[in-house]
Amino acid sequence: MLFLQSLISGLLTGGVYALAGMGMSMVFGVMNVSNFAHGDLMMLGMYLAYFAFTLLNIDPYLSLVLIIPLAFMFGYVLEKVFINRVIHHPHQNQILLTIGLGLIMSNSALLAFTSDPRILTTSYSSSSFTVFRDVSVSVPLLLSFIITCGITALLYLFLSGTRTGMALRATSQNREAAQLMGINVSRITAIAFGIGTALAAAAGALIAPTYYIHPLAGHSFLLKAFTICVLGGLGSVVGATVGGLIIGVVEALSSVYLSSDWKDVVVFVLFLAVLLFRPQGLFGKKGDQ
Amino acid sequence: MTRKLLCIDNVSKHFGGNVAVSEVSFAVEEKQICGLIGPNGAGKTTLFNCIAGYYPVTSGDIVFNGLNINRKRPDQVCRLGMARTWQRVKPMSNMTVLENVMVGAFASTGALRKAETIARQELLVVGLENYAGKLAGSLPIGLKKKLELARVMATSPKMLLLDEICGGLNKTETGIILGIIRTLRERGVTIVFIEHDMKAVTSICDNIVVLSSGEKLAEGTPVEITANPEVIAAYLGGGSSNA
Amino acid sequence: MMKQAIASAFLVVAAIALPLLIGDNPYVTGILITLLMMATLASAWNIVGGYAGQFSFGHAAYFGAGAYSTMIMLSVFNTNPLVGMATGIVVSSLIALVTGSIVFRLKGHYFALASIAVAEIVRLTVLNLDFTGGAQGILLSDVAFLGLDLNSKNPFYYGMLSCLVVTLGITAYLRRTRTGYYLQAIREDQDAAASLAINIAYYKNKALLISAALTSVVGSIYALYIRFIDTTAVLDLRLSIEILLTAIIGGVGTLWGPLLGAALLVPLAEMLRSNVLGDAMVRIGIVSETSPIGMFFKDGLAHAHVLVYGIITVLCILYLPKGILGLLRRGK
Repeated sequence: MLFLQSLISGLLTGGVYALAGMGMSMVFGVMNVSNFAHGDLMMLGMYLAYFAFTLLNIDPYLSLVLIIPLAFMFGYVLEKVFINRVIHHPHQNQILLTIGLGLIMSNSALLAFTSDPRILTTSYSSSSFTVFRDVSVSVPLLLSFIITCGITALLYLFLSGTRTGMALRATSQNREAAQLMGINVSRITAIAFGIGTALAAAAGALIAPTYYIHPLAGHSFLLKAFTICVLGGLGSVVGATVGGLIIGVVEALSSVYLSSDWKDVVVFVLFLAVLLFRPQGLFGKKGDQ
Repeated sequence: MTRKLLCIDNVSKHFGGNVAVSEVSFAVEEKQICGLIGPNGAGKTTLFNCIAGYYPVTSGDIVFNGLNINRKRPDQVCRLGMARTWQRVKPMSNMTVLENVMVGAFASTGALRKAETIARQELLVVGLENYAGKLAGSLPIGLKKKLELARVMATSPKMLLLDEICGGLNKTETGIILGIIRTLRERGVTIVFIEHDMKAVTSICDNIVVLSSGEKLAEGTPVEITANPEVIAAYLGGGSSNA
Repeated sequence: MMKQAIASAFLVVAAIALPLLIGDNPYVTGILITLLMMATLASAWNIVGGYAGQFSFGHAAYFGAGAYSTMIMLSVFNTNPLVGMATGIVVSSLIALVTGSIVFRLKGHYFALASIAVAEIVRLTVLNLDFTGGAQGILLSDVAFLGLDLNSKNPFYYGMLSCLVVTLGITAYLRRTRTGYYLQAIREDQDAAASLAINIAYYKNKALLISAALTSVVGSIYALYIRFIDTTAVLDLRLSIEILLTAIIGGVGTLWGPLLGAALLVPLAEMLRSNVLGDAMVRIGIVSETSPIGMFFKDGLAHAHVLVYGIITVLCILYLPKGILGLLRRGK
């Protein structure tokens, strides 16, 4: 029963991780940039949800309607102003630039919001319902999982069904060829970063009701998002979905059967194991590494 | 007496379901210049990458100087005496021309002075001695090709694999490079080179191997090859003869 | 060449004489020790990050390995500090070898990612084990070494200075050897390097090992100097990033860049931390001490040095990709 219980909560949390991983994978696939500010963008999403709730009294899940377009615009501008200029630089420069941007975000948050962790408590924060004997499901986790599924489905529809979505996939396959086919690659790149940011912020907002909200919260999520991407194959959005679920379950199981102190260690060891044995990821093409 | 320095025996390379090279066999004799030609996508560069240790072969054997090198890494292959150049030149842009060639020379010596002496000699051979202190990234393409040659020659190879060393060059530049290649042969280096320019190939090669769609189409002297109707069909019918 | 050698010799003599000029001023000596420490760490990072082009985001692991090994050997086994230092070198070399053997076969982003993962594994392991002191850290009341007065800061100043001289010496020596040329070749183009008989994984591992061992020694000296360590102080991701930014901002892949970076950033951070800037603003009268803005500058700037690092990094990448040293050279 304990196994089933942790499996379920792991899958539910994993869904939200998947969202963050998908955002990073999208940016990596289209731009070939490892976005080290991704965790900090999640942190901004957490604070947005927090302030929407405390100041405007908007339910954190409902606030996504505001947060997603806002974050998209923020990401779009960030790309146009900063990232765009290093897109043809060596990847170290891209990493450093995103690190710099991340440091600016997290430390500005530290100045503005102080280092005191905040907690977003809704009326249903600690409520749960029993599904089967002593297996229960937490309401906020379930809600965020359902919303994650919705966002994921929309993203798939967008990627497969719209012109922009197809242009995104084409650019991800081969940037030069996409440009030759008449795709406005620089616009697509900014859109990709916008979507990546929106997904990160959405993931942040979705976990806000169940986590401490803290200016440096992004760091641990950054590593998780990377693990998810590498697990799923860098650049593969489908892979990131599965990668997220796997990480969620691994975390939940290791905190039950090992100890919650060691769950992050397990995740990072898994990350190294993937690099050692299957560097192209579970869904990546061989030879990509 | 000539001796076979490189034997390609039934080599195939598959990428997933794609067959890039299929059961190709040929041999290169010592001090020969062997041309490897074929239309785009014939598998020439893939075969080079297999020989030089960048791709593992799917099946078959590659024997260099009496040693099977199927499972050797690129650096080990180079140490055994087989060096290669790149179709898209790969200069170490933020190092000087001299330093680039010294990196090659360090394959045979650990001493800085000696490496510098070797490097300066090779720069003289290709006519880059006046560019020694320039950053490699700042050279025009013609000189970058010469730098590639000087750099691989500095490793003192028995055999050179040249991948479109004349690609993107004009007639004069091509002439100069071909001249350098001839002097290299006089130094006892065996050469295999990929080339699109039929004139360049026929003017310099002792033996030519023609690949098409991953398979060996023909092999022979330049005279035989230029008269071979299958080769003419593959080249002219392939529609990529100008590439 | 000759000029550089004379200039370096002059610099070393000046650095040796400096504490005599300062006299008994623990505050200034403390800042100088931090400066020398960051310069050494950034220079050590530069061997693998700058010359071999393999950006490590986890150098705190090697620093922490040195610090923790020294403290544990001292407090548990009561050994000579040198034994602790040697243990640190062994431990950090092992960490480097594990990291290197996993990722140095792969290209591009992977080393950056794996170095963070390894550093986090080390941090969390130290945090969760008992003999490492866990979250409490390790406190050392007293330590003796060669009869030196370790309550004075001067021995540590000279310790860090020796580390810096050794690290810069190794870097300068490497640049004139096959290994140095090979590392730069790997940084420039990995495929081309392999085609010139360079065993990529071997040379990357060699660079990382040298870098890790030097970093670990600095960690050991730091532990003896502060005599209290915990994971936040010596194993945090923040430290890894500060090390790397110091090298980048100064000038990556150059001999003097990391030292220059530390010489600029450490005093700047200290000015922010000690509120010199905030106080100055109040004193000059730009802002009033009681106004909200004044309060913000007074309290806020003390925590802002990482923010400033972030801004400088972004500016450097966009406008000075070769660091401040590159700017100085261009100006010539």
